[in-house]
Amino acid sequence: MNKDLEHQFVTNLEQNQNIAHKICRIYTNDQESHNDLFQEITIQLWKAYPKFRGDSKFSTWMYRVALNTAITLYRKKKKSIRTQDYDSVHFKIKTEAYDDTAEQHLKLMYDAIKQLNDIDKALVFLYLEDKNYAEISETLGITEVNARVKMNRVKTKLQNIINP
Amino acid sequence: MDNLDLLKKDWKKQEKSIPQLSYDEIYKLIWKRSSSIVKWIFFISIIEFGLGAGLNIFITDDEYWAKLEKYNLTLFSIITYVVSYLITFYFIYKFYKNYRAINATDSAAVLMKTILKVRKTVKYYIGFILISSAFVFIFSIIIVFRTHAMTPEIADPDMAFDWKNWVLFIGGILLLLAVILGVIWLIYTLVYGILLRRLHRNYKELKKLEM
Repeated sequence: MNKDLEHQFVTNLEQNQNIAHKICRIYTNDQESHNDLFQEITIQLWKAYPKFRGDSKFSTWMYRVALNTAITLYRKKKKSIRTQDYDSVHFKIKTEAYDDTAEQHLKLMYDAIKQLNDIDKALVFLYLEDKNYAEISETLGITEVNARVKMNRVKTKLQNIINP
Repeated sequence: MDNLDLLKKDWKKQEKSIPQLSYDEIYKLIWKRSSSIVKWIFFISIIEFGLGAGLNIFITDDEYWAKLEKYNLTLFSIITYVVSYLITFYFIYKFYKNYRAINATDSAAVLMKTILKVRKTVKYYIGFILISSAFVFIFSIIIVFRTHAMTPEIADPDMAFDWKNWVLFIGGILLLLAVILGVIWLIYTLVYGILLRRLHRNYKELKKLEM
């Protein structure tokens, strides 16, 4: 690989690194796994970079490769333990009892997302990123109708986790 | 406004507080080693190839060929080897093609499908190993029988097998065969099962939608 390509790639990634950080936030529970996944995403992006022709935006292309890494290629080193999540929820509820309810609600939402499966997480992520159904369906490889159906199911799932 | 839309607002607010890596930090990352599933599958299949080939080389020494000569099996063995090597090379080619096909820029569904296809090739390869091991095993037993019949000193009544001994002998050998094949199968299932469990689950999740 030549130096120009390296420089181009690192600059692009530096400018768009938020995408990868946000994916790590959804898919991992602690800083160590966050860094692991970020590293793997970077490697996969770099490996795929020669195929990036620039006919789409770097960020668009990055969403796809980074999500693929999180859903498909990344091997979790340790199983993330669910009970830990629950503990932290309870802990937060106890200590932040006087906090404003909206904030508490958000925390519950984030925690509910952590309990979804990999595909559902991807949907939520793309939704939060303001992607339309055409983009969601293209990234995941399902039809637009299916993406819509799936999104509605995920919303119900989240609702059920929060208000069982 | 539903919950998720509330979250979306917060999501955008949080954007500013995301810690940023510097150019140099990112540059260092691109030279780190990948731990992707694909790489592991590749390593494991290479090890499988190595074990298979190594075993073959280990077994086929000069003495082995001399023995084959004695029983007029040379031609038969050569044909068997040529066929099995052709099949092995076909698998190597397939493995190579599969790994080339894995492309992180595909959609998630396509990528998962490709990886699961890779697994299928490995599965067929293991099937081939199992069948050929069974074949070699059974074939060796037949040779043992023939040798036994051809060796005059065994005519000694003390050494002769009665039918009960034969049943025990054949039963024991079949049991051994079953154990060996079972172990190979178990290792395969464990290794790939663990590796691809999550992927399989995700793929099913997407597949469900297509129905």
